[in-house]
Parts: sequence; structure tokens; C-alpha cells
Amino acid sequence: MSTGSLKAEAGIAGGDSAAGLPIAAAATVSRARTVWASWRGLVYQLAGIILAGLALLVWLLTADLSAIELRTLAPAALWVYTLEHLQLTLLAAVIVLVIAIPLGIALTRKPLRFLTAPVLAIANIGQAAPAVGVVVLLALWVGFSFWAATLSLVLYAVLPVLRNTMIGLDQVDARLVEAGRGMGMSATAVLFRVELPLAVPVMLSGVRTALVLLVGTAALATFINGGGLGILITTGVNLSLTTVLVTGALLVALLALLIDWVGRVVEHVARPKGL
Amino acid sequence: MSERNASTSPAPSAASTGITGASILLDHVTKRFPGQVHPAVDGLTMEIPAGKIVMFVGPSGCGKTTTLKMINRLIEPTEGRIVVDGDDVTEMNGDTLRRGIGYVIQAGGLFPHMTVATNIGIVPKMLGWDKARIAARVDELLELVSLDPALYRDRYPKELSGGQQQRVGVARALAADPPVLLMDEPFGAVDPITRLRLQDELLNIQDELQKTIVCVTHDFDEAVKLGDWIAIFNEGAQLEQYDTPERILGDPANEFVENFIGSGAGLKQLTLTRVEEVGLADAVIGNPGERAADVLARVAEAGHGHAVIVDDRHRPIQWLSRRKLGRLDLISAVPDPKLPVVGIRATLNDALDTMLVSSAGAALVTGRRDMFKGVIDVRTVMDAITRSQTAAVLESDKAPVGLNTGMFQAQASAAEAAEAELIGAESSSAQSSSAQSSSAQPIEADGSGADARAAQ
Amino acid sequence: MWDFLGDRYEQILFSGWQHFSLVVQCLILATVIAVIIASLVYRSKGLTSVVNSVSAIGLTIPAFALIGLLIAPLGFGVTPAVIVVAFFAALPILRNAVVGLSGIAPSIVESARGIGMSRFRTLLQVELPMAWPIILTGVRVSAQMVMGIAAVAAYSLGPGLGGFIFSGLSRSGGANSLESVLTGVIGVIVLALILDLLLVGLGRLTIPRGIRV
Repeated sequence: MSTGSLKAEAGIAGGDSAAGLPIAAAATVSRARTVWASWRGLVYQLAGIILAGLALLVWLLTADLSAIELRTLAPAALWVYTLEHLQLTLLAAVIVLVIAIPLGIALTRKPLRFLTAPVLAIANIGQAAPAVGVVVLLALWVGFSFWAATLSLVLYAVLPVLRNTMIGLDQVDARLVEAGRGMGMSATAVLFRVELPLAVPVMLSGVRTALVLLVGTAALATFINGGGLGILITTGVNLSLTTVLVTGALLVALLALLIDWVGRVVEHVARPKGL
Repeated sequence: MSERNASTSPAPSAASTGITGASILLDHVTKRFPGQVHPAVDGLTMEIPAGKIVMFVGPSGCGKTTTLKMINRLIEPTEGRIVVDGDDVTEMNGDTLRRGIGYVIQAGGLFPHMTVATNIGIVPKMLGWDKARIAARVDELLELVSLDPALYRDRYPKELSGGQQQRVGVARALAADPPVLLMDEPFGAVDPITRLRLQDELLNIQDELQKTIVCVTHDFDEAVKLGDWIAIFNEGAQLEQYDTPERILGDPANEFVENFIGSGAGLKQLTLTRVEEVGLADAVIGNPGERAADVLARVAEAGHGHAVIVDDRHRPIQWLSRRKLGRLDLISAVPDPKLPVVGIRATLNDALDTMLVSSAGAALVTGRRDMFKGVIDVRTVMDAITRSQTAAVLESDKAPVGLNTGMFQAQASAAEAAEAELIGAESSSAQSSSAQSSSAQPIEADGSGADARAAQ
Repeated sequence: MWDFLGDRYEQILFSGWQHFSLVVQCLILATVIAVIIASLVYRSKGLTSVVNSVSAIGLTIPAFALIGLLIAPLGFGVTPAVIVVAFFAALPILRNAVVGLSGIAPSIVESARGIGMSRFRTLLQVELPMAWPIILTGVRVSAQMVMGIAAVAAYSLGPGLGGFIFSGLSRSGGANSLESVLTGVIGVIVLALILDLLLVGLGRLTIPRGIRV
């Protein structure tokens, strides 16, 4: 995703600074600039999130709120909704990782290789299923609860992680695998020491996509009494409380951006050197 | 401006018959790119005669490509004038100018989403030709570059070989019959054998059309082979020598030129004599469908060892020995892909190469549109070598004007004190105009930017 | 289930058609907007990275949250649905259009300029046709994504199959609630597949043989 553009910026910044300056000075300056350029987008994103959060806070503090609005938007209540939302998201994410990564690895091993294409095809079709429909269907089946919400979130977010794990492993240069085997590494050793490290960037970007999807979809959990920040939106709509509606929507959006930011920071730090 | 006009002789007009090219004059042209200390092209004045092939050579980064691109104003000059066929084109609309100038780049620069016919017809279409005229022109041009229209018209570029793509590129550049053809390393992306063929074809086409061709190359041998005139550039597009290939090889102006020619100048002299300048041997001609025995009888009667089989357009397709003729019944129409063929404008060097590769000790010579002309053998080449070694270098009397009036030149030769004053005036005006020049910069910036992206 | 479908097939077909036409119209709108924006920015590295960031961040905003934000000023109805669907549809197309346009070899652009094509003509006749396969891939990704988003958009009482899901939800436990939700979900999946096939067909028709992979 935008990591590519970040890299490109880094290259350009380095080139610019090297043009006019003496070589030694240019090297240090350009390295500092390169580091700054690679982090710049992330810093801006965080600053934007914090600014938007502060603006929301100021607006809420200065707005003329009715008694119901005050009660719904009490700091304690908001905190509970946010925690519920995060709980849903993170629990689902952990389950997704536990299922999807081993499954992705298994499906790219020789014995199961033939399943790769059909699984990807089914995954793509599944992606077209509307999230709200999946949530409601599961609730009708399992009952209206936190667990029904978690289960539907897991179903929905398995796909990107599974797909990116498979793609990440598939795109590892076959010659590298061969070189590993040729040095006498076992298949397991090749997997852990060559294939997985090289697949990490793609896999992490899949995990981040999944997390962002989860934050958004978790807002739908309110329809089936699953908790989370979505309740502010539905309450706002049902009772025509614009302030509550906007607060809920903004909080969900900011939470998604924040999770995305954390994901990007992890990706940035965890990318193997030399890639 | 009027002062400068007086200092350079007016471009010669296309006087002799058959020349369809136009003369070009670069008048005190300078190009500064923003953020660069030295100008890429520094006060270059250069005359390019009508109907001639002028080759630009020099080390990479010397400004030869920049100079070329300023002729059609893909790069806008910072200072100076460009005059084509007596008209100052420095201020005219760049797109209109470029529609009237053919432009060929490496690998042809064909548009991959268009067929060969659409690619070739694109400039005529922009000029508002009607469909029938464009279609006729496309076929005519494909014939000219030796591609069968029926076979290649509707193909896409990726369905062509590198050499064929390059041919289509040349056809596209010639589509609207422009007087001037600019070529930027046109044969850089094809294999050596195809390159020789394409060079021969270009010379044949030039024989027919007599355009003014300006061609940038990094290959000195190519320059010697193709050029009527060669311009050797040093950094800042400083002209080190601008002369005929014979004079450059025989009388290099300075050490830089000597180094650039490199060793083996003697052997390179071989590239100065063209196949058409030596005597060709006749051959026994046969046609597909004839009985081999009849042809063999004619071969025996003439006392030859081989017969040349030509197709209905008189293009050679096979070269059969007596032994082979004896084994055959009917002559087939299948072309032999390994036929040793050289163009009539090819150099003796190429002819020798072709013979050595084919191990036939001789090669078939073709003229315009690949028509068979005769046979050249090793002995003819050897005789020519002996002659050219003894021949004296002739004085050339009508060398076109080419000089630099920029900073580099001023530092190098203190003698031109009168010029130096003019330079002072120029450099101050240059600083004021360098800000405006940034409008021309995107072309280069785009290129490097895309490279940077591609490297990611 | 079959009774449910049999009783309501006219309504289902009508909603399906509404859903489909909402998505297709929004896709067309989004493609036009995205291509125009991409054409304006792709020459500048700074603007390109701004656009890429906007598109990446835009995609992290949950559709449901954006609908909530739009209901506040616009009220219920088709308008917020169209805005949300078109907004999300534009993001992947925008990204691909920028990638496609800036990925064209500079030599091709130079040769277009060299034979006298103006900047605008080069864009129209050379760059956009060459970037079209990549843009179209973006449209396919968008189509899959916004099919589902259009279902969520039904919450703001926009048209389409999402209505079956929400009406099933509101009658949960009641008669036919499961059938109603299933109809909505499966209907959306079927429409997504049909649209994808149509887009593949569009690619066959509009991508010249010379640049087909």
C-alpha cells in the first residue's frame, strides 16, 4: 500500500539533498532526511488523529447538550463502549491469526497445493458477502450476543489474512527456497528461516487490513447486541440525537485510523532489513 | 538577434533535385537545466545541410541528445534560435512543429495499444487526412521499410520482432512526409546483425527520399557508416570536430577526437567504402517454380558455381550451389533465412562480416526495396582495402558551419577576444532567462522520476 | 425459503435491480471522478503521495461510520447512500489510475510528444488507454467492495437488497426473518458475481489486443 510511496519519497529526498552539498555532509543529511521521510507519513497520520480527537472533545465540551445526550455521552459510558469495541476487535483478530496463518502455510505446502486456487476463489466470493448480512445471519443462528458478533467478525476477517499469507509465501523466489534446501536445510527450517521472514511484509499488511476491517465491522455488532461504539450511531439515528450519532461515527473512524496507524508502525519496524 | 544572424551564413537551400529535406540551423543555442552548474548545451551554433545525414556522437552526458531534442523543441532552448528551412521555429507552437518533424527513438517508441497501421497513421490523422489517404500511405510506408502490408498492417507492436518494431518506428516518423527526421539512438535496442540490416535499409530509404536526418548514436562505427557529416561533441555540447567521416578518421582535429575514434582507425577506413563503390559480379538468376535442371544448365553455361533465386519482386530468397541444384527437382519459393545479404550502401566492413559469418566467401548485394543487384566476393573487398590504404585524404571544401560561443569555448581559446565580449552580454541575459526555462524542464524530470519509481 | 422467494420475487427482483443500478451508477461516477483526479495529480510526486495517502486512509474509515456522519447533515434517503457508495468506489480506482498513469514508460510519452501530440491528446490517446487495464482492475475491486457497502447503506433507507437484511433483523424471531436476511446476503453475492463477469467482459471489449496480458 502506501509503504511503496513512502520508499519512493525517501529516494527522492536523498537525491535532492545530495545535489549541491559536499559529499560527506550530504551523506549524513540525506540519511537523516531519509529516516524522516520514511516516518513523515506516519507522524502526519498520528497528528491528524490526535487533532481530530481534540476537535471532537472541544466540540462536545462546548456544545449545548440535552439530558439524554449528556447521559449517553458520559465519559464513563464512552470508555465502556470503546473498550467493548476494542475487545471485539482484538479478540477476533487473535482468533483470526491463530486460524489463518497456519492454514495459509498449510495450503502453500506441497500436499495441499492443489487447494490454493479453489480456496482463493471461494475467499474472493466470500469477500463480496455484505458484512452486515453475515453479522445478522450468524446472530439468527447462534443468538444475539457478544459471541455471535465475535464469530461473524472472525469469519469476515479471516479472508485477508489467509490470502496475504498465501500470496506472501507464494511470491518468495523459488530459487531462494531451492538454495536453502541445497544448503541442507530441512523443509521446516526453510519455512521458518527463509520463506516466512520474506513473506512478513505482505502478511503484516494483510493483518493490518484485517484489523481495519474488524474495527469497522465491529460497529455493526450493535445490531445484534454485541456491544461496541456502533450503539452510539444506532441510538443517534433512532432517537434523532445528532450529537450522539456524529460522536459515534467519528469515534469509530478515529479508532480505525488509530489501529491502522499502529499496524503501519509495526510494519515499518518489522520489515526485514534489506528488503 | 540581428547581430547573430549576420555572424552565421544562411542555410543552404535545397538546390539539387531530389532533395526533400530541409536545412536546419541552430543559432547560438544554450540550454541550462535548473539546479545544474554548467549548461547542458553551451552557445552552440551549427548548420545542418538539407538532404544529408548528420550523426551526433560523443560521451554520454555530453549534451548530444539535448541538442537533438531542441531541434523539435521537446526540450526548449534557454537561449538562441532554431531555424528550419529558413523559418525561425523558436516561438511557434511546439506540437505543430513536431507534427512536421519525424521522430524516432530506441525500439521505435510504438504505442503498444495501437496496431501497426494506427501507429503509422497517427500523425496524418492529426493533420486531418482522410481515411483512404491514410490507409494508402500506411501501405506505401510499410513497403518502403520492407514489411509486407497485408501481413503486418493489423499486428500489434508486441507481435513484432525488435527490428520490425524499429522499422515501423521509422515508417511512423516518415508518415506525413516530413522534411526532417530526428533519430535518438534508433538502433540501440536490436541485435548487431539486425542493426546492420536496419542501417542498410535506412541508407536505401535515404537514397530514395533524401530527407535531412539528424541521428544521435553512441556507436562511432555507426556514425561512420551512416553519416554524411559527423559532429563529435564534448561536455556542454562543445563541438570538437564537425566533418566528413573520411576527414575525421584521416585527420582528427585534436586528442579528444583521436581518443574517441579509438584504436583501429585503419580498419575503420574500411567502413568508408561502400559496396556500391566497388565492382559487383553478375549472377545466374532463377525463379521459384522453374525446373532445377534448367537453372543448372544456365549456371554451367555461365561457368558460375551458384544460382540466385529471386521472388516476384526480384528479392533474393535462395542461393543454390551446383550440387544443391543437382539434387533438386523444382525450385521452391521458401526463403532461406540464413542468406548472406548486404545492402548496396553497406560498408565493405559489413560485407566482410557477412561473408565471414556465412562462410560462403561471397555475399548477395541488394539495392532499393531489397532488390537483387549482384554478388560481392572476398577478393573484391581485399582489392578495395589496398586501394583505400594508399588513397590520400581529400580536403573537404563545403564543410557546414559548427562552432561554440559558450563559456567553455571562451576559457579554452583566449584568442577570440571579440567573441568574449558577446559572451559577457549573453551570460547576464542568461541568468535572467533561466527562471523562465524551468517550463521546459518536465520532460527530463518526468524521465528521471519514472526511473526512480521503476527502481522501487 | 422457496415460498418466501416465490411470494416476493417481484419485490426481490426490483430491489436487486435497484441495488445493482445504484452500484453501477456510483461506479461510473467514481471512475470518472477518480480518473480526472488521477490525471491532474500523477505528474507531481507530492500530489501523488497525498492522493495515495487520502485513498489509503479513506479506505480505513468504516462505511457504517461514514453513513452515520452523512445522515446528520443530509437526512435519510438516497443521497447519503449514493455519496457513501461513490466515495468508497472512487478510492481503489483512484489509486490504480495513479499507478497506471505513472507506470507508463517515459519513452512512450516522449515519443507521443515527439510526433506532435499535445499534452492533452497524449493523455487521452496514449496514457489513459495504456493505463486502462490497471484502472479497470481497480473498478473490479471497487465493485466487489461497494456491493457490500451498498447493503450497509440501506440503513439510511437507501435503495437495494440491504433492506431485506435490516427488515429481517427488525423482525428477528418472527416469521421469515431468516429467509429475508438470507435473500439479502445471497442476492448481494450473486449481483457481485454478475457485475464482476460483466466487468471482465468489458475488459475483453475495451482492452486492445496489443496490451492484453
